[in-house]
Amino acid sequence: MFLRILRKSLSKRKSRIAIAVISVIMGAAIATALLSVSLDVSEKVGYEFRKYGANLIVVPKSDTIEVGFPGVDFGSVTEQRYINESDLWKIKTIFWRNNVLGFAPILYQVVSVGENQYEQNVVLAGTYFNKDVEIIEPYSLDDPSIFNTGIQKISPWWKVNGNWIEDQNDTTSSMVGIKVAEKLNLEIGNIFTIKYYENYEGLINETIYNLTVKGIIETDGNEDNQIFVNLQVAQDLTSRMDKVHLIQVSALCNACPVDTFAEEIEGKIPYAEARTVKQLVNAEMNILGKIEDMMFLVTIVALLASALGVMTTMTTSVIERQKEIGLMKSVGAEDKKIAFLFLSEASIIGAIGGLVGYIVGTVLAQFIGLSVFDTSITPRVEIIPIALGISVGIALLASSLPVRRATKVEPAIVLRGE
Amino acid sequence: MTKEIIRLTNLTKLYDKDTRPINNVTVSMIKGAWTSIMGPSGSGKTTLLNLIGCLDSPTKGTIHINGTEITKLNRDQLTRFRRENIGLIFQQYHLVPYLTALENVLMAQYYHSIVDESEAIDALKRVGLGHRLKHVPAHLSGGEQQRVCIARALINEPEILLADEPTGNLDQKNGEVVLKLIKKLREEGHTIILVTHNPDIGRLGDRLIELIDGKISSDTAINIKM
Ligand SMILES: Nc1ncnc2c1ncn2[C@@H]1O[C@H](COP(=O)(O)OP(=O)(O)OP(=O)(O)O)[C@@H](O)[C@H]1O
Ligand SMILES: [Mg+2]
Repeated sequence: MFLRILRKSLSKRKSRIAIAVISVIMGAAIATALLSVSLDVSEKVGYEFRKYGANLIVVPKSDTIEVGFPGVDFGSVTEQRYINESDLWKIKTIFWRNNVLGFAPILYQVVSVGENQYEQNVVLAGTYFNKDVEIIEPYSLDDPSIFNTGIQKISPWWKVNGNWIEDQNDTTSSMVGIKVAEKLNLEIGNIFTIKYYENYEGLINETIYNLTVKGIIETDGNEDNQIFVNLQVAQDLTSRMDKVHLIQVSALCNACPVDTFAEEIEGKIPYAEARTVKQLVNAEMNILGKIEDMMFLVTIVALLASALGVMTTMTTSVIERQKEIGLMKSVGAEDKKIAFLFLSEASIIGAIGGLVGYIVGTVLAQFIGLSVFDTSITPRVEIIPIALGISVGIALLASSLPVRRATKVEPAIVLRGE
Repeated sequence: MTKEIIRLTNLTKLYDKDTRPINNVTVSMIKGAWTSIMGPSGSGKTTLLNLIGCLDSPTKGTIHINGTEITKLNRDQLTRFRRENIGLIFQQYHLVPYLTALENVLMAQYYHSIVDESEAIDALKRVGLGHRLKHVPAHLSGGEQQRVCIARALINEPEILLADEPTGNLDQKNGEVVLKLIKKLREEGHTIILVTHNPDIGRLGDRLIELIDGKISSDTAINIKM
């Protein structure tokens, strides 16, 4: 019987109820949307974090040049000292070795490309793509003796047209940055020539080398202006056997201290200095935190508005139904039964609003995701109970005053005329 | 064999300082009697019914119903006492507009104890509405609505029936139908208190009390039976 009363009292006042439901929908939709967006975006920050790939850069000690990241300002690198390629394996022998996801050495050299007046300077970067590094003295006997690593591992987000260089002994392939490719009109499969000028006691020695374009890289970073080849190619070309300028290290570090990583690496390669790039990520996290604060505030305001909508509807409803309430009391309904009826109505309003709000909010999240963050937002089922809980809670809370009012209705009014 | 069922002692009700709708009334009523209450508008008739019907509390004085001093009960206790002992018939019927005739009766059952649909249908048949069970109040005539109201008042088998101008909104024909029903209830042993402006109706009962300015101005036993 109670359900019959409830159902009929709701269905006979559809337009009123609709207003309350809509106000809950709006609140729940905004809450859902912002929650989905913020969950997704913080997950994507994790991805973003990885996108930086290297969170440690190892450079020779007392190196005064500025190491820009993720590229390096080449102009100041020429004078610097080097790290020995033969020391790289030591990075994998620190205590936190299992958290070292990968590393890639880089040896830079300015070379020139193009003919005559079109000749221009480009940075050639020698690195590992897919390299098996032998761990000569493993930290523990259980550790594998070969570690496969390379730039592909620490920079998986690179957009590559064509292919990665897979063969570690490939000395003719190159991957060129998109800007270089555009300037030189290079396409995948093209062969082009680089020239390396060596100033040898006043004599200029020109070395010419032919490279095939295996892939074109797009990173929106300095890599777009560089040509990547196997480290060996760069070393041979510039006669700098066993030398690298820096090592990018990617350490997966949620709990472990990145600073400890750095210290340990410095312990293993004493002439090197490891710098963390945590600051960068921190800054990003900060902005995100602020965006989340703002979303939180917007959500609160939206929910307050819903509460107001529900409260208005419920108050009107109680005033309109005074006679009905009085009648129910006169036939024997105690105050708590009256309260229960109205609170049930509020819960239903909240539940419908919450459910529809979740759907609307999920769609809304897509719009926000696409227009603001340029990514699509994954719909999350786990938000449904949250949206429902919040909506029902808000509806009940907003009804508490009107319901008090309903319980205060005097049954005596039923005998009084209008 | 007369048994007192309602006793009012020094009953006073005031809403504000100047108006005393009920002013120091002492009266008692016997079980199974039909008492009519008359009096000019504003004399306190409805107020008196509210007090007896446990819908309102007096400012001073006591009310005993069936030996219970109801003036000592709290809100919820009053509600429970009311649903066990008192049936109310209103001039404005006060049916819940979104419920059918049957559901209006069922609702009274629901708030009283448990819902028994066949009993509710019987109650409506008794008032001659067996063919109008599924109609909502808007689709019923005034007389039919009043009969639904009576069926609802009776469903929980209260001893006392309070009626405030039950025929006030009805034409003569419908009014007679309703009065016939009330007479039948009187015969079945219900104690009836009926407020009316119509002297003809006032004379239908066993006793006629006239109120003026919250006081009893006359109290007559009626012997002439129709
Ligand atoms: N809730 C209230 N607050 C203040 N005064 C009230 C209230 N209810 C009734 N009164 C006053 O109490 C007095 C008696 O009212 P009551 O309704 O009992 O009269 P009545 O005899 O039923 O009149 P009628 O024949 O018009 O129905 C009137 O003066 C009325 O204005
Ligand atoms: Mg009156």
